[in-house]
Amino acid sequence: MKTQDTDTPISLQRRRLLQGLGVTGATVAGSLCPFSAHASAGASGATHAPQSDATLQSQSFYGTHQSGVVTPRPAAGIMVAFDVLATDRAGLERLFRTLTERIRVLMQGGAVPQIDPKLPPPDSGILGPVVHPDNLTVTVSVGDSLFDDRFGLASAKPRQLQRMTSFPNDALDTERCHGDLTLQFCANTPDTNIHALRDIIKTLPDLLLVRWKQEGTIPPVPVQPGRPEPSARNFLGFLDGSANPKADDAKLMDGIVWIQPGSEEPAWAAHGSYQVVRIIRNYVERWDRTPLQEQETIFGRRKYDGAPLSGGTDEFTEPDYRNDPEGKITPLDAHIRLANPRMPGTERNLILRRPFNYSNGVQNNGQLDMGLLMIIYQASLVEGFITVQNRLNGEPLEEYIKPIGGGYYFTLPGAAGPDDYLGRTLIQATA
Amino acid sequence: MKRQILATVLFAGLLAAPLPGMAADASLDLVTPITDYKIYVTRNVDALVKATRTFTDAVKRGDVDTAKRLFGPTRMHYERIEPIAELFSDLDASVDSREDDHEHGVGSSDFTGFHRIEYGLWIKNSTAGLTPLADKLMADVLDLQKRIAGLTFPPSIVVGGAAALMEEVAATKVSGEEDRYSHTDLYDFQANVEGSKKIFDLLRPQLASQDSAFIQKVDGNFKTVDTILAKYKTTDGGYVTYDKVDERDRKVLSGAVNTLAEDLSTLRGKLGLS
Repeated sequence: MKTQDTDTPISLQRRRLLQGLGVTGATVAGSLCPFSAHASAGASGATHAPQSDATLQSQSFYGTHQSGVVTPRPAAGIMVAFDVLATDRAGLERLFRTLTERIRVLMQGGAVPQIDPKLPPPDSGILGPVVHPDNLTVTVSVGDSLFDDRFGLASAKPRQLQRMTSFPNDALDTERCHGDLTLQFCANTPDTNIHALRDIIKTLPDLLLVRWKQEGTIPPVPVQPGRPEPSARNFLGFLDGSANPKADDAKLMDGIVWIQPGSEEPAWAAHGSYQVVRIIRNYVERWDRTPLQEQETIFGRRKYDGAPLSGGTDEFTEPDYRNDPEGKITPLDAHIRLANPRMPGTERNLILRRPFNYSNGVQNNGQLDMGLLMIIYQASLVEGFITVQNRLNGEPLEEYIKPIGGGYYFTLPGAAGPDDYLGRTLIQATA
Repeated sequence: MKRQILATVLFAGLLAAPLPGMAADASLDLVTPITDYKIYVTRNVDALVKATRTFTDAVKRGDVDTAKRLFGPTRMHYERIEPIAELFSDLDASVDSREDDHEHGVGSSDFTGFHRIEYGLWIKNSTAGLTPLADKLMADVLDLQKRIAGLTFPPSIVVGGAAALMEEVAATKVSGEEDRYSHTDLYDFQANVEGSKKIFDLLRPQLASQDSAFIQKVDGNFKTVDTILAKYKTTDGGYVTYDKVDERDRKVLSGAVNTLAEDLSTLRGKLGLS
């Protein structure tokens, strides 16, 4: 990180910067809000902005695995799917190499290059003259369509990678599905993600075309010393992520998330993962008109403390169905029971969920267009998401949710160091 | 508003001092290309007047088929010179605004010009009620011709026009939103690209001395666009409707157009214009 002034805390530098803009800020505020008390004549100061001491948090780019998968989930995420415009393998390699370089730079942060002001600035400037990492990760995955006839990759396609097909409750909108390549942006603030996305769009106009984009957020959870970190709530008001496998348990992740060397997958794919994206609209008005008891029966958990209906006082109690074979306590078709029946063998279907809540505006009927941007990682697409979703087909929750977009992708192995690039093993395996 | 910008640009153009590393004397260097560009624009606006007369005559005598046939080709003369035509924002709005530029859509009383007539011809398949609109369009185009004749061409607008035209394509042509009733977007597409290429060609000598790799890259992307557009030419010299352009070609066009917009956005800076 190139900070020009290493002895000065960043927050102070930032305050100085804001003070520099203060006069303009006050003028603008004054003209927009004529009744504002702060706009009194002669006053100067920045327009209030939320403050954060987390903008210097950063994740490392290089590694066996890409970051952004088992990395703790920050508050803001964007999933963007692209069409790849490269016309040959050289173009594809240039795409992978350039993406690698931009992601590395963006995750590290630093001063924005200064150039002749007669030229368009190379950086959008939305994060100011010094870009803070702000916990940014950008994770690159490739879709089934990248393995078509264009680049000679067909023989190297991960064995389970396929075009997402519709499940019975889906109403897929093809304009929000599929794509040759996805970038998952995660950061502490949405602006950091948008900055990174705009950088990549500006850098690669000849190789990438945005196909669809979905943004999402996660509400912060209270810190409770001495207690495990709670899950955040989704837009149905339930804790989403309870009973997710522990992402900081490397051995567990090797089993559930990461393709292992020597597996049935092509060798190049080792340390990658299958990524599932589902844009799931929630009918929140209808949900809010549903009795609490019914909401809890549909999920199989209590709404406020997250405890499973089978017992306990919080979300950390393991659901227990052993004495409830007929579903008298936890209905057999409750969401959590179908998703994970906790029967011998069903541990093979464990997946790592990384959801964000989205809110897009209003539908034609005046109802809110919001729901869940569900992102899932797993070492086996078939035993993971596809099996779990097939078990969920027909669940009572379906009356309140409608999957409308997304796709299946393969998250590339990580770049090991400065001589490596994302996608190298795939390119070399098909040379 | 546009006029203010124009005045500022002109003034700035006169005072502009080239930065070190830039063309030695930008304003002097650009005299020839600007003069040539004015000739190009004048020829196109003359052709626009002529073609608009034939087109509006067909509308007024109720000849729907002829009017439909002339719609795409007539607009090309306007689309080639959009960077200049758009300087007169009142005329641009009355000649070339689209339904979505108006809060009340097609029913808006101030929705006039090519696209309002296009709506009548294709959606209503009729010229009923179009005569006043045809007269207004003709009058506007004549007004445009007159105003262009009296215009001093600002170098920054001319040079910036190459990128502005590609922005037009990227924003409304690639999506098929420009000619939403007739789907004759490829005519506009081709004309915007020709207009952009013309500016680039006129500036070629100034650019060649400093950046031949840049020229090669821009030429390559213009060629990509030309090659794809050529696939969709009809035997009478026109273009098929935009819905016939296959998805892969649309993507390649988007990529080339976005890259041209990105590259050509540096032209003003490269030539030392503020």
